[in-house]
Amino acid sequence: MRPDASPLVAALAVGGVLLVGVYLVAVLDRVVGAVVAGAPVRVGGLLAGPVRAAALLLVQRYRGTERFDAPGWALAPALLLGLAAVALGLVPLGPDLVAADPATGFVVFSAAIAFVMIAVFLHGWSPNAVFPLHGAYRYAAQALSFQIPFLLAMLATALPAESLSIVEIVRAQASIWNVVRQPLGLPLYLVVGLAVSFWGPLNLPDGADLAEGTSAEDAGVARLLWQAARAAMLVAVAAMGAAGFLGGWWGPWLPGPVWVLVKSVALLVVLVAAGHLLARIRIERFVVVAWAVLIPLALLNVFIAGAVLL
Amino acid sequence: MRLHDALRWLAADAPVPVFAVAGAGAREAVQRLRLSEELRLVDTPRAGSVLLVAGGIPESLAEPLARVHDALPHPRCTVWWGPESEGIVARFPDSVLVHDDPVGAIVSAHRDLLAGRRRSDPPILPDADPAPWRGVGPYGQGGSGMTGGIPYGRPMAELGPDRDGLRLDVLPVTVGPFFPRFPVGLALDVTLAGDVVVDATVHPNPFVADGSPPLAARPGLAAFVRALAEPVRVAELELARAREHLRWLADALVAHGLPSLGSRVLRLAARVGPGDGASVRDLARTLGWTQVLRWSTAGVGRVAGEDARGIGGPVARAAGAAEDARAEDPAYRALGFAPVLHRGGDAADRWRQRLAEAAQSLDLAARAGDRRAEPRGRVESPRGLLTPESAATTRLLPLLPPLLAGQEWGDAVATLVSLDLDLEEAALVARQVAGAVVG
Repeated sequence: MRPDASPLVAALAVGGVLLVGVYLVAVLDRVVGAVVAGAPVRVGGLLAGPVRAAALLLVQRYRGTERFDAPGWALAPALLLGLAAVALGLVPLGPDLVAADPATGFVVFSAAIAFVMIAVFLHGWSPNAVFPLHGAYRYAAQALSFQIPFLLAMLATALPAESLSIVEIVRAQASIWNVVRQPLGLPLYLVVGLAVSFWGPLNLPDGADLAEGTSAEDAGVARLLWQAARAAMLVAVAAMGAAGFLGGWWGPWLPGPVWVLVKSVALLVVLVAAGHLLARIRIERFVVVAWAVLIPLALLNVFIAGAVLL
Repeated sequence: MRLHDALRWLAADAPVPVFAVAGAGAREAVQRLRLSEELRLVDTPRAGSVLLVAGGIPESLAEPLARVHDALPHPRCTVWWGPESEGIVARFPDSVLVHDDPVGAIVSAHRDLLAGRRRSDPPILPDADPAPWRGVGPYGQGGSGMTGGIPYGRPMAELGPDRDGLRLDVLPVTVGPFFPRFPVGLALDVTLAGDVVVDATVHPNPFVADGSPPLAARPGLAAFVRALAEPVRVAELELARAREHLRWLADALVAHGLPSLGSRVLRLAARVGPGDGASVRDLARTLGWTQVLRWSTAGVGRVAGEDARGIGGPVARAAGAAEDARAEDPAYRALGFAPVLHRGGDAADRWRQRLAEAAQSLDLAARAGDRRAEPRGRVESPRGLLTPESAATTRLLPLLPPLLAGQEWGDAVATLVSLDLDLEEAALVARQVAGAVVG
């Protein structure tokens, strides 16, 4: 958004992008799933699939579990969607085209990621049932482990920009993208991005071994909203990855916003495909790897980025 | 109102979310539904619009099934597939009964439901709390104490020692008998301390209980049951074995979060024929980079040394114990059969073992010609030695409590999946024994 645009326009724009992004994730997930399964890929069915599935969830009526926490259950998907919107609102489509560009953009993004844990925990706590609660506690362990490497990987991108503003972080990649300057950064960011958005191999709170974990008791609109919020978080992670590591709007021939879109979709494809091709990781192994491998690697990445600047 | 109609019209073309319960004799048939484009099998009843009950359901599972039924959101309906459980169907009065094509029946029942031509199933059980809430405070938490016992009929967390020597909350829960990752009928009483299983006890096999409908061997096992008493072609046995292993693999992949890959394997299971060992070996290589054999199963659920002896089947052979009834059979000896072995005995080795055995079986089937396995009252089924007195699952179930204790829940599920339990096969044997005693 241009600086003079009204907050309402900015909010609507972010909402619209999120809606399209969620739909895109649903379609991509179906396409990749069909390819991996060796099933026929029918374009019409795949495009209409998410809309039909959403309609089905919207007509379901559901009374909830015994003694559930209604406000918490309603709030959790709203919170997760809101956090995804906050994160996405920071991603610039062009030098002047961003919903919000606070000087502390990176800090705002970090705060949004930190709060994801609250949303997931609330979602698991509210139904007053075993599997959701189990999933909620699991995500707490997962989140404690991924937050440091995730934010360190992103922090390294702020060093060459000498600014915490996301627009400045992208601007600093005019000559060379961070994916080249900091080769460790993007892989680290993507691995941990899967954990943030609890997707694929790191979908531990909602995993198949817990019969969907925190979502096990969701039906109807609640299920739809939570699925949408998860997909929105994945979109936000991909878009921020494109801005932080793939040079955001920079690129030849095409206009800046198109480049942001292309790069975000490319990262989305990687993240969604990982969900269909990589098995669920054991939580214990993830925690050990996060503390013993990812954090040292992320620190190394920061040191190298700093040394290059000196 | 218009919006609601539009939504219903859109929803009518969505794949129908089905929570499927595979009773006796229906495991393969229900699994095949995963490949249908018109249905989507879901992991929790809350995600389903249709409850599909296939095959024979023992009387003792009627009430848990009613609880699953009542967990489906409205509008919902129930479809019974197969003639085996007519006694129980009466307790689900609004059900649709089908004998042949369940997909068509499910889709049309679901469309009727959305169009208002069919009423949504009312609850079976009384819509009341399992026990009255009489606690103090807005959440009826039971008054002064937060831990201990089962106040007002609800088990509460209690204090217990954990694996680090601390005293932390432990929670008793029952998982099953329709938990999607377990074979139908398997129920465990588990005490959880956070993510860790403190102890587990196995409920009795419901398919063995008195009054259960009679069991016929499932299509995938029929050849092995026949081979107990009559000569059966080696090629037929080995093809059935390879397919059974691949069908297990398809379910195991779903359990590890890879349902699309599971569908691919299921297609392969239906397609493979004698001599297709190479395609299974390709699959094994593919699974190498999904990491399913490393970060999710390596070191998990080890059954080795003394424990593995006498168990038989892939579980024993994955731990290096060369127990295979085929080695005693002249027909197999003539083919130069030697059992495949792995060493470690963990879940990853059991995966590798079954993949290798599936490939070996397809190779054997191609070379077997018209050779027949002689009936000797014992046969090597895909799960292990099957005799009229004993099946692999009967020998594996007592191992579960010590094996699961101390594992994280995800690992406990991975362990159970890797053991490939089959309560029906165990029940088939138990019935034979009971029959012999009566006779």
